[in-house]
Amino acid sequence: MKVQISRFDPDKDAAPHLETYDVHVENGARVLNVLDAVRDGIDPTLGYRHCCRAGQCGSCAVRVNGEPVLACMEEAHDGDLIEPLSLPRIRDLITDIAPVMAQMAWLNPGVEGISCSCGVTHDTIESIKPLRECIECYSCVSSCPAFAASEYAGPTIMRQEQRLNLDPRDGGDRVEEAIAKGLFACTTCHKCVEVCPKGIETPRKAVEKLRAEAAKRGLSLPAHKALASLVEETGRSVERKETLFLERVPDVIEPEGEVRATVGFFVGCMFNGRVIQPALDAMEVLRKNGIRVVIPKDQVCCGSPLIRTGLSGFVPELMQRNIAAFVNAGVDVVLTMCAGCGSTLKNDYNTPFRVADITEYLCEIGFVPPTKVAGTYTYHDPCHLLRGQGISEQPRELLRSVAETFVDLPARCCGAGGGVKSGRPEEAAAIGAVRAEMVKATGADFIVTVCPFCEFHLHQVTGLPVKNIATLLLEGYRK
Amino acid sequence: MGIENRSDCHVLVIGSGGAGIRAAVEAAASGETIIVSKTITGKGGCTVMAEGGYNAVLRSADSVSTHYEDTMKGGAFLNDPALVEVLAREAPDRIRDLFAWGAVFDLTCENEIAQRPFGGQRFPRTCYAGDHTGHEMVMTLLEKLRGSPVEIRDELTVIDLLKDGNTVSGAITCDREGELGVITADAVVLATGGAGQVYDTTTNSTAGTGDGYALGYRAGAELIDMEQVQFHPTGAVYPYDTRGRLITEAVRGEGGILLNTKGERFMEKYDPARMELSTRDVVARSIATEVLEGRGTEHGGVWLDVTHLPREQIETRLPLMLEQFLQFGVDIRTQPMEVAPTAHHFMGGLRITPEAHTTLPHLFAAGEVTGGVHGGNRLGGNALADTQVFGRRAGLAAASVEHTAKRASDADQIAAAEEKISRLYEGSAASAEVRRSMKQIMWNNVGIYRNELDLKVAERDIAKLRATPLGISSPREINDAIITENMLLVASLVIEGALLRRESRGAHTRTDISVPWTNETSPFGHTFFSKARSGIEILEGRL
Repeated sequence: MKVQISRFDPDKDAAPHLETYDVHVENGARVLNVLDAVRDGIDPTLGYRHCCRAGQCGSCAVRVNGEPVLACMEEAHDGDLIEPLSLPRIRDLITDIAPVMAQMAWLNPGVEGISCSCGVTHDTIESIKPLRECIECYSCVSSCPAFAASEYAGPTIMRQEQRLNLDPRDGGDRVEEAIAKGLFACTTCHKCVEVCPKGIETPRKAVEKLRAEAAKRGLSLPAHKALASLVEETGRSVERKETLFLERVPDVIEPEGEVRATVGFFVGCMFNGRVIQPALDAMEVLRKNGIRVVIPKDQVCCGSPLIRTGLSGFVPELMQRNIAAFVNAGVDVVLTMCAGCGSTLKNDYNTPFRVADITEYLCEIGFVPPTKVAGTYTYHDPCHLLRGQGISEQPRELLRSVAETFVDLPARCCGAGGGVKSGRPEEAAAIGAVRAEMVKATGADFIVTVCPFCEFHLHQVTGLPVKNIATLLLEGYRK
Repeated sequence: MGIENRSDCHVLVIGSGGAGIRAAVEAAASGETIIVSKTITGKGGCTVMAEGGYNAVLRSADSVSTHYEDTMKGGAFLNDPALVEVLAREAPDRIRDLFAWGAVFDLTCENEIAQRPFGGQRFPRTCYAGDHTGHEMVMTLLEKLRGSPVEIRDELTVIDLLKDGNTVSGAITCDREGELGVITADAVVLATGGAGQVYDTTTNSTAGTGDGYALGYRAGAELIDMEQVQFHPTGAVYPYDTRGRLITEAVRGEGGILLNTKGERFMEKYDPARMELSTRDVVARSIATEVLEGRGTEHGGVWLDVTHLPREQIETRLPLMLEQFLQFGVDIRTQPMEVAPTAHHFMGGLRITPEAHTTLPHLFAAGEVTGGVHGGNRLGGNALADTQVFGRRAGLAAASVEHTAKRASDADQIAAAEEKISRLYEGSAASAEVRRSMKQIMWNNVGIYRNELDLKVAERDIAKLRATPLGISSPREINDAIITENMLLVASLVIEGALLRRESRGAHTRTDISVPWTNETSPFGHTFFSKARSGIEILEGRL
């Protein structure tokens, strides 16, 4: 088996370099067995950490082909590229994890003598358990876009704060501490969940919960509070500036030709009031695909900005109104074209109808092929579509059918989500700057995405034109 | 040459598993404490990998004397009764401490610490946190440690203990890059764990190399019962590189059954009363016999089956097992696991008093590095309890050693260490190659079933390996070479003990010797080993 390993010796090397190694390993060998084979057979100075060999100590996290994994659990493949985690490097695959470890909070019983186990119930234990399996491998921290670009202490640090916050044996003020460690910098992109060997849902089970506690105590960011008031007053998270989407369209849009399907359409606040044209374009795309669209006018904000920022008091009301609106409309399928709304309806709601993203639905029923449109396009995965809904292939399929040239791009959060753009614009810009570099490296003329927040933010940080996928498809259909 | 990297403290703790962290936390109240880990504190020991549980008497229907009796019987009456008494008596308070410090152990619906049955015990007294009990304990201890004034030194390997006359006074260390250092201390606690890594197939982490046995032995301390190596009955067998990985006893505790390839529940033959929940030595020998007699799988194992259990029970009580097997393409909810014995726990080790004092002044020890607590066979769930009970005792006893203003570090010893290292640059044998040979020798000749002929072969072959000078070409290889030497020393002690003990007792089975006595009436006590003497204790009036 041939693998490439990133080597770096601070005593000798100005920069890291790749070495190719050809080693013999058994069938089913893990990446760690490959590293062992290199050390034992070729170079005894290869630096890497390892210990339990069973996925329980978290020592051996490395990147394989760009993604963090535990070397002892990940099966090795010919051609693998093995690199250290994206943390300050000491030597070879050994990174400096001490500064991150130093941020990890510990249980503090508070006033001497108060410490006792009273108040800990079966339910307490069950609530803490999902946050307790962390093996401190720091894969999450190393791949967190907010950690890389801001003072955010990192996902597992927030996990630990919430673990303590839930524990009656702890006397510390974990909400204030979490805020000081950057609670409001998390974009809820869920990259940390994707790379966690234990699948710990830090954004949902720690970050959003801590933000909710902060909200109860009035510690939310001013911009988030203003947003929450706006939603409570108007049912919408953006201020009215022009004629709204819902005021421009009929209750039912009949398709061209034969009716292949009938769906409901959930527009979301951004497409309703801020970036309206892509939504109108999407209606045209659905018409051309033989889809009848029913648009209840009493639909409101999905509540995503409130849930993500912890100000979720009004959310049950929103949920009830939205579900009623679409139940009354009598549709079985509701389409979204905002990744955030889609993710919220799918994951936070319990809907009696199916929710599908527009790209997911078009690919599923078979879309009318568009004519190719000139230009070089790349695709930015919105986090709430990719990880919130598990959708990555469908938008690419659409893009390949319509774009003259398509250049793919690995996913990375742009910084717009989780209330970071409204609450901490400078951090959103810093996260976006990293993304902008990646986008520019593709050489694309246009960025295509399926999220109004990403659309808006990416345009700001890259200066490039950003198109909604519906707009591009419509261009193809109109050719 | 001289060592620039010097520090000084009251208590030096070597090893960062459950016993080491506990000792450091307890010692910290009485003076400056340093904990040294050759890995990263909390990641290195086997505690973090321990899955099943922690034995403690918590219910009125159970009793300390029953725990004591179960432990003595399970240990083939080779245990040191005073140590077992302490273990059974203090285990409950130590788990209560952990709970007060924030441990997330499973609770019953009545909000009491939940317990489940484990092998060889008459009461379900094994407390647990799913099937990652050790991980939960280490996380709790780490939180406690991080909130304490203990100085943590990660990725620092102790290569020898320092002595002031006959008194232990610190350690010589070597860091990741091969730089030597000296830490002087009023007292030293060894908590370096076991040495499963001397065998080809083991549950142990790669840090389970028995350094503490070697450090203690070289400093002049006495070790006991080194032949008593527990083979855990259920280790993974496939894929090849995962061989030995622990399949927790909790699988059987939850109701898992063992089947041979003919579909027979073979424990009926070997221990019809206790079946799969017999003691580990019995179950391991039963599996080995089934495989030897041709009723094993193609990879040399038997089946461990939980498919008859409710899916939900598997998912909530054995989540780690489920996850690990899924990684290798086996869904234990619908498919059996393939298992075979694997080197697991060293019951032998440094001889200690109930105060965790070794035979050397100012040297204390706790956890798997010690001998006597578990006798000839350790009960599942007693090791985690051992780490806390004796970790605390070692920490407190070390801390109670008088503070001295100026500790001497013997220049001769440092010079000797430097000399030893400089000789490594002239050697030729590669550490990795030597370890590979050693592991095979030990697995093939000093395994579950032993006889004099095989043991003599192993003795000769290990001696040959020890006689070949290890070679290195850069300072970064120093630790590996020293650890390899430690492992060879440990291997030779295991063999010596296995030859000395001319009976089958606990985990040690001599197929070439049959004796007229039972475990309880055996004339033999501990085997013992030090630079000054070695042998086997003969109990008065029994032979």
